[in-house]
Amino acid sequence: MTTRRRRVAGWLVGAVSLLLAAGTVAAHGGSLAGGGRESITVPTWLFLSTGGAAVGASFLLASFVTDRSFIDRIHDWGTPLTVSDSPLPGLFARSVGLAGYVTVLAIGFLGPTTPRTNLAILLVWVGWWAGLAMTTYLVGNTWRALNPLDTIALVLPSLNRRYPSRAGAWPSVVGLLALIWLEVVSPLADDPQLLATAVVGYSALTLSGAVVFGRETWFAEADPVERVFRYYGRVAPIGYDDRGLRLRLPGMDLSTPRLVDGRDEVAFVVALLWGTTFDGLVTTPTWRDTTMPLVAAGVPPQLLYPLALAAGFGLFLGAYWFAVSLSRRVATTYLDVDTLAERFAPPLLAIAAGYHLAHYLGYFLVLAPALWVALLSPLSDPGAVPIYEPPGWFAGVGIAAVVLGHLVAIWVAHAAAYDAFPSRLQAIRSQYPFIAVMVFYTMTSLWVISRPEVALPYL
Amino acid sequence: MTDTYDVSEDEPAHECRYCGRPFAREEWLALHRGLDHPAQLDDEEVAAFRAAHDAEESALGNFRLRALGALVVIYFCLLMIYALV
Repeated sequence: MTTRRRRVAGWLVGAVSLLLAAGTVAAHGGSLAGGGRESITVPTWLFLSTGGAAVGASFLLASFVTDRSFIDRIHDWGTPLTVSDSPLPGLFARSVGLAGYVTVLAIGFLGPTTPRTNLAILLVWVGWWAGLAMTTYLVGNTWRALNPLDTIALVLPSLNRRYPSRAGAWPSVVGLLALIWLEVVSPLADDPQLLATAVVGYSALTLSGAVVFGRETWFAEADPVERVFRYYGRVAPIGYDDRGLRLRLPGMDLSTPRLVDGRDEVAFVVALLWGTTFDGLVTTPTWRDTTMPLVAAGVPPQLLYPLALAAGFGLFLGAYWFAVSLSRRVATTYLDVDTLAERFAPPLLAIAAGYHLAHYLGYFLVLAPALWVALLSPLSDPGAVPIYEPPGWFAGVGIAAVVLGHLVAIWVAHAAAYDAFPSRLQAIRSQYPFIAVMVFYTMTSLWVISRPEVALPYL
Repeated sequence: MTDTYDVSEDEPAHECRYCGRPFAREEWLALHRGLDHPAQLDDEEVAAFRAAHDAEESALGNFRLRALGALVVIYFCLLMIYALV
């Protein structure tokens, strides 16, 4: 069969060129993880084009897989996991979550004031936002069981007001952007008391929401943190589907139709992706140089950060919706724009998870010993804390995470397109605009991580 | 599935008689019937699906060749640029 031989040959050449493309990125941009960014030895435009080309090449590579039953087999692969009926694991998880919550508040207000020895700071940033989030997309979402505010809300009364269905996920989109803004502009990672105060504020808001609209509704719709973990959990190999708890290949759940429902949820996915980029963008020299004349001209710097956050989010979201309408035209389909937008938003979660891993794995490993020491003696200040020094090759892990996130995203989008369109060529064509958007997102993020890191201006 | 459709008046629409989904081309409708309603088809629709499927296979063959060409071009362009820079 010539077709088969041609297919195999295509696979081989494609795989080799992709490996080379990924390899060159790793060789020259290997500074992503571990916090410190180094200058790159190749010109920036080449570094960026290589990243973009790697994404494009992986799309071409995925398009060689045209066997529907093969795709279905990969996506349906999995084994059901048994869930014990005993209430003990749930109770245990709730008590662990509650203990962590109480620790953060108590140590935040009463513990040592140096950030690297304060358990509250380490628990929130290293244990929770880096560590727990990583387990969420690498293993499975446990935040649902741990969430201490959910546990507290259990014992609170509920007014059970009807949650306005028009609001949908929008409060969580606004909440997520607000949390990103707060994390960027305030010294939440340096000041334990401020962190504990922020936790109290967030808890008050969340618990009153849960009291007014009912616990389950609030955490399902409006709470940004719960939603972040839920979305990351969809990338994970272990998760619930209509057949119960199952072990699947990582990311394969993202091709399920109706995973993202409505424009609000599409916006949340894009906000999650944009948040990671914005975090890095504000520490680039370009940000400093662009904003300096603006501040000199009288723009208040306090206004600059939320404005840039909102504008960048608008740009990312606009690019996505533009790709959706373009995809609709290129694929000549009668599916409406909303259906297409919802279908192809979940793959972006794999990219977001890849960036999160690239940003936080090094951070987590470096500070994990400090977390352990602080855990053993939460109230005393040991002065110096142990720090793990990752080996030199470790920088490649970050790049690998970014590339892997994109590979999963492209594959999942490919499968979703095959599911949505009867013609396979139509499915491939429908992906052109999305691939362009993915290249745009990748190049933006690679550009951000290739800039030297400077202190936040005006804060 | 509750997919929603958006068909304007002046566009051709071939509607599936089993689920009502509209398609811009007749062969896509034929493929859709074979993929999503395989048990319900009559002989004529089965033949239409086969024909559309065969046509699709040869079009995919062409596409694969072009994709392969694009991969080779990307690879050599990057190789050359890295050799020169």
